[in-house]
Amino acid sequence: MGDSLSHLPQQLANGLTLGAVYALIALGYSLVYGVLRLLNFAHGEVYMVGAFIGYGVLSLLDPALAAGLPGWLGLTAMLLAAMLGCGLLGALIERLVYRPLRHTHRLAPLLGALGIAFVLQHGVLLLASARHRAIHAELILPAALGFELGSVRLSAARLLVIGIALLLLAALSLLVYRTRMGRALRAIGADPEAAAMLGVPVERVVSQTFVLGSALAGAAGVLVGLVFTKVWHLMGVAAGLKGFTAAVLGGIGSLPGALLGGLLLGIAESVSTGVISPTYSDLIVFGVLIVALLVRPSGLFGKRAQPKV
Amino acid sequence: MNRTPEPMSRRPELPFHWTLVLLLALSVVLAACGASGAPSNAPAAEADQERPIKIALMAPLTGGAAAVGEPQLNFVRLAVEQFNAEHGTNIELVEGDTELDPAKATTLAQRLLADEAIYAVIGPAGSQEVAAVAPLLAAADLALVSPSATKPDLTEQGLPNVFRVVPRDDVQSATVAQFLLQRLAATRVWLIDDQSSYGVGLVDAIEAQLRAAGVAVVRESVGQDETDFSALVTRMRADQPDAVFLGTQVASQGALLARQMQEQRVQALLLGGDGLMTEDFIANAGGATEGAYVSFFAPDVTNLPSAQPVIEAYTSRHGAVGPFGPPAYTAAMVVLEAILRASAEGPLTRAAVRDAIAQTNQAESLLGIPIAFDTKGDIQNASFFLYQVQGGAFVPAR
Repeated sequence: MGDSLSHLPQQLANGLTLGAVYALIALGYSLVYGVLRLLNFAHGEVYMVGAFIGYGVLSLLDPALAAGLPGWLGLTAMLLAAMLGCGLLGALIERLVYRPLRHTHRLAPLLGALGIAFVLQHGVLLLASARHRAIHAELILPAALGFELGSVRLSAARLLVIGIALLLLAALSLLVYRTRMGRALRAIGADPEAAAMLGVPVERVVSQTFVLGSALAGAAGVLVGLVFTKVWHLMGVAAGLKGFTAAVLGGIGSLPGALLGGLLLGIAESVSTGVISPTYSDLIVFGVLIVALLVRPSGLFGKRAQPKV
Repeated sequence: MNRTPEPMSRRPELPFHWTLVLLLALSVVLAACGASGAPSNAPAAEADQERPIKIALMAPLTGGAAAVGEPQLNFVRLAVEQFNAEHGTNIELVEGDTELDPAKATTLAQRLLADEAIYAVIGPAGSQEVAAVAPLLAAADLALVSPSATKPDLTEQGLPNVFRVVPRDDVQSATVAQFLLQRLAATRVWLIDDQSSYGVGLVDAIEAQLRAAGVAVVRESVGQDETDFSALVTRMRADQPDAVFLGTQVASQGALLARQMQEQRVQALLLGGDGLMTEDFIANAGGATEGAYVSFFAPDVTNLPSAQPVIEAYTSRHGAVGPFGPPAYTAAMVVLEAILRASAEGPLTRAAVRDAIAQTNQAESLLGIPIAFDTKGDIQNASFFLYQVQGGAFVPAR
C-alpha cells in the first residue's frame, strides 16, 4: 500500500485527464437538464459521433500532416468539425424528436432519447462497420512528448486535453453567466412559462442549448481520441453513463457541479484502478457515488428539489 | 432441330450445394440398390473398385471467418492436386462451408457421412465446431484432422478419430513462459487478461508456470472495451517489471496498451498471445508496438527453403501466404498419405484410414516440422512460434 501511495500524484494526473473529459460530457447533460428537465440519454452517442468526426478529419488530413501541416492546425480543424457537426446533430435531434414529444407524457422524451441513442449507434455501425479504429494522435503530437514534474510524468497530449477542456469550460461559463443568451437560458430553466411571457424566444434558446451541449460532447470526443486513440460505435455507452454520473454527483443542472463531479469521478476511477485493481474500479466508483448521494441526495452543488405548483 | 448443341464446357457449372444434393441423392439410390441386390456380392465388389475415393474439407468459406477459410480451401485444393499428380491417384475433394457455426458444421457432417466414398475430413476450423461434429464422425469411424482448432479439451474426450496439426493452447502458455524465463531471464512480470475465457485461461496457465519458477508476478484483468490503461501503467512504472504479457482477443487493445506504456516511458517488453497476431496490433500503435513479441500457433513458412515450391505454386495463383493456410496444406497431406498407406495394406475403409492417420510419421512437412500424433491425436513436439514486430511487420523471432 505504501508503494501505491508513492505514485498517487501520477494517478491524480491520470485522473485529471479522464475527469476533464467526463466534465465536458457532464456539462451537456446538466445544460439540457437545467433548461428542459430532460435526461438526454443520447448524449453519449453524440460524443461518439464527435470522436468519429475527429477520426474522419484526421484521416483526411493525414497526407497534409505528413507533408508538414502543423499539428495544432490539424487539431483545430478536428475540434471545429466535431463541434460544428455535433452541434448540428444536437439541434436536429431536438427539433425532430424532443420538441414534438415535449408536452406529451413525461416518459416519452426519455424513451425518445434512448431510441436516438440506438439510431446513432447503429447508424455509425452501418457507415463505419464495427471495427475499432485507431486515432493516429502521433500525427498531431508525438506520444513520447512530455515532461517530468518530480515523480509525475505529464505527456503533452494530456496537458493539451486538460487545457482545452478548461478553456471550453471558461468559454461556456462566460456564455451562460455573461451574455443575453445565457440569461435567457437560465430564465427558461427557472420557469419556462414566465420566461416565455416575458418575451424569451423559448424554442430558439432550447435549440441553442442543445447546440452548445452537443458541441461540448463533440469536443470531448476529439480530445479523448488524442489520449486513448481508439474509436468505435459503442464507445459512447460507458462514457455517457460516466458523464451522467458526474452530472448527478455534482448536482444535475448545476454547471460548476458538473465540472467538479467530472473531475472527482475521473480521479476516483484512476486512483481506485491504480491503488486497488481495474477489475473493481467501477464497483468502487459507483459505490462511492451511492454513498455520496445518500449523504447529499441532490448532489454536491444541487439545490433541494422545489415542489412545482 | 437446327439448333447446334452447346459444347459441354459452355454449360454453367452446377452450384456447389446442388452438387452435394445430387451426390446425396445418388448415394441414397446406390444404398437402396445395394440393399435390394444384397444376395449378389460380386457386382458390389466390382462397384467398389470403380468407386472414387474422396476426402472432404469443412471450413468457414463464407461469413465472418472467411478470411480463415479461404486460404484453407486454396491450400487444400493445391495439396490434393499436387498429391494426385505425384502419386498418379485420383482422389477427389468435397468442399463444405461451415460458416464457423457448430450447427451448420453438424448438418454438413451428416451429409458427408452419407457419402461412403469420403474416407476422411480436413477441418473443421473452429474448436467449437470440432466439439460439435467429432462424436458424429467417430460413430462412423470417419477421421478428422483440424488445421486450426487449439482448445485443449478437444483431444481429451477419448475419441479415436480426432487429430490436429496445430498445438494446443496449453502449449502456448509453455512457449511464452519458457521465453520469459530462459530468453529474457525475467524476474518481475506483469500478466494482464481480457476477462474472456480465452484470455483468462491462457494467462492463468502462464502465471502458474512463472510462479513455479519463482518469478514475481503481478496479475491484472481488464475488460475488452477498456481504453484507459494509464492508471495501470503508472503502477507498472513504479513496479518496473521486465516484461508485460497481454492475453486478449482484441488486437487493438494491445496497441493501446503499448501506446500508453510509451507515453509514460515504461521500458518493459510487451508480449501477447495469438489474439494479437493481426494488422491492428501494428497499424493502431503508431510505432509503439515495435519490438513487441506475439506467439502464434503456426510458423512463418514463407522463408523456409523446403517450403518454397509450394509457396511459389500458391502465390502464383492466390497471392500472399497468410498464417492460416500452411497448416491446412499439412492436414491435407496427412490425410492423403494415410489413404495411400491404408489402401496398400488392405481393403480401404474409413477405420483403416483413421488408423493410418494415427500412425502418421512424416519426416518433413510444409510447416518445417516432422508430423506425428500422440495417442490423443495431438501433434507431437509442436510449439507455438514467437514473432516480433520489426519495421512494422511480424517477423519470426530469432
